Amino acid sequence: MKLALDEHAGLDSPLHRWAAPYKIVGLGLLMLAFASIRDLRLLLPMLSIAGLVYIASRLPARVLLTRLRYPGLFLVSVIVALPLLSGETVLWQWGWLTLRQEGVQAMGLIVGRFLSILTLSVVLLGTTPFVTLVRAFRSLGLPAILADMLLLTYRYLFDLADTLAQMQQAMRLRGFGRRQRPARVKFSLWRTLNRLAALAGTLLVRSYEQSERVYKAMQLRGYGARLGKGRSDRPQGTAFDWWGVVIALISALSLVIAEALLNWQR
Amino acid sequence: MACCNSALTVSNLCFGYPDQPDVLQSVNLEVKPGDRLGIIGNNGCGKTTLFLLLSGILTPDVGHIELMGQPVVPGQFRPEVGMVFQNPDDQLISASVWEDVAFGLENLGFTPEQIDRRVAEALTLTGTQDLAQRPPHHLSGGEKRMVAIAGVIAMRPQVVIYDEPSANLDLRARRRLICFLQQAPDTMVIASHDLEFVLEVCDRTVLMNDGTLIADAPPRDLLSNTALMQAHGLEVPYSLRTVSTSQSAL
Repeated sequence: MKLALDEHAGLDSPLHRWAAPYKIVGLGLLMLAFASIRDLRLLLPMLSIAGLVYIASRLPARVLLTRLRYPGLFLVSVIVALPLLSGETVLWQWGWLTLRQEGVQAMGLIVGRFLSILTLSVVLLGTTPFVTLVRAFRSLGLPAILADMLLLTYRYLFDLADTLAQMQQAMRLRGFGRRQRPARVKFSLWRTLNRLAALAGTLLVRSYEQSERVYKAMQLRGYGARLGKGRSDRPQGTAFDWWGVVIALISALSLVIAEALLNWQR
Repeated sequence: MACCNSALTVSNLCFGYPDQPDVLQSVNLEVKPGDRLGIIGNNGCGKTTLFLLLSGILTPDVGHIELMGQPVVPGQFRPEVGMVFQNPDDQLISASVWEDVAFGLENLGFTPEQIDRRVAEALTLTGTQDLAQRPPHHLSGGEKRMVAIAGVIAMRPQVVIYDEPSANLDLRARRRLICFLQQAPDTMVIASHDLEFVLEVCDRTVLMNDGTLIADAPPRDLLSNTALMQAHGLEVPYSLRTVSTSQSAL
């Protein structure tokens, strides 16, 4: 099992250089603006902004495509179902198959917003190391306990993945899950499930015991007994970081104002 | 705290886990400042439990522990004692080596400048400065061990407890650890099954069996005593076998 959360966090691009707290605020503002779009005429500008941000991040296209794999199932269902089922104005009909205008519009809006927001999320996660991201959220007010939990989860996820891989390997080496079994060994789903449950249970117990040891080690190094103020979490941005937020704010406001104007004209 | 005659004093210490026979029975031990005490004994004889009691993680059923002249109160953070765990993965909790070494110092309330200086010192001392930006899960076993030690010594404890420090190390990493410990000025208590390691690093050895202290002597004297070692399921280390044989002959 390979965990590659920070695979592209080491690239060099304006988005990579943008300090994480400012990036969260900037991209967050854009996401909020995207979520508020109701007018189809703003779809293209919205998708263009998301596309430009993605291009500026220099992330490979396959990253976005990979991240789209599972949400894509939801998108396909929206693309197929909404135009056929939602609305009253018929655009085209063939037998019982009816394409409706309201459904097509709703589909366009949902898919457009979804793709734009997902693209920005991929940029945020892909251009910032996970640890930096959690620290940035902490500096923006995320409770310390939640930040610690996220960081520890990140740290021990790799250990857990290694342990699982080793245990699976050990099981395979003792014949578990073989495709070619001797004739006298009959496949039993119940037995297989039993073994897998035991594997999961062992992993759970090991993780629990390790978490106890980790907590003891942390206590011994003063966790929970903070004796001073320590390192400040307050973000200290450069002019570049602030300009990033300003550009994002202007783009977000432009979309929101355009949306309001188009609504008002109707 | 250099005024204290004793770095660590354990008096009549008894401890048992719920629904189990006592793990430690009337343990008495005194460790002087600068001592390098090795604790040997079979698996389950109570070494790790003793360490958890010494560092205030567990609460004794009976008895008293003093660290640098002050009683150890269970649950109370005592930066004078540091513990290096048997499995470094239990201890390396941060996302990078540098951050991990800084963890304890941040909890102690040092300024960022002090933290940076002390982390750099600890990494240099343990020879791990090149690993500073690496995530702990990418390190080898030996590297993890040295980083775990750096995380503890960065806090400058007066007593450092090592639980099986040479376990799972290859020969080169083990030798590096031995050299490091031989030069370290701290008071240390080391539990190990690696008797050659104890012989090289410690200047005093205690033999534990079934939760009691059986013998307390200089390493060469204790480890070469064939009768004592065999009576408690241990073997005389290879390097002492000729000494042991000639002693028996005498």
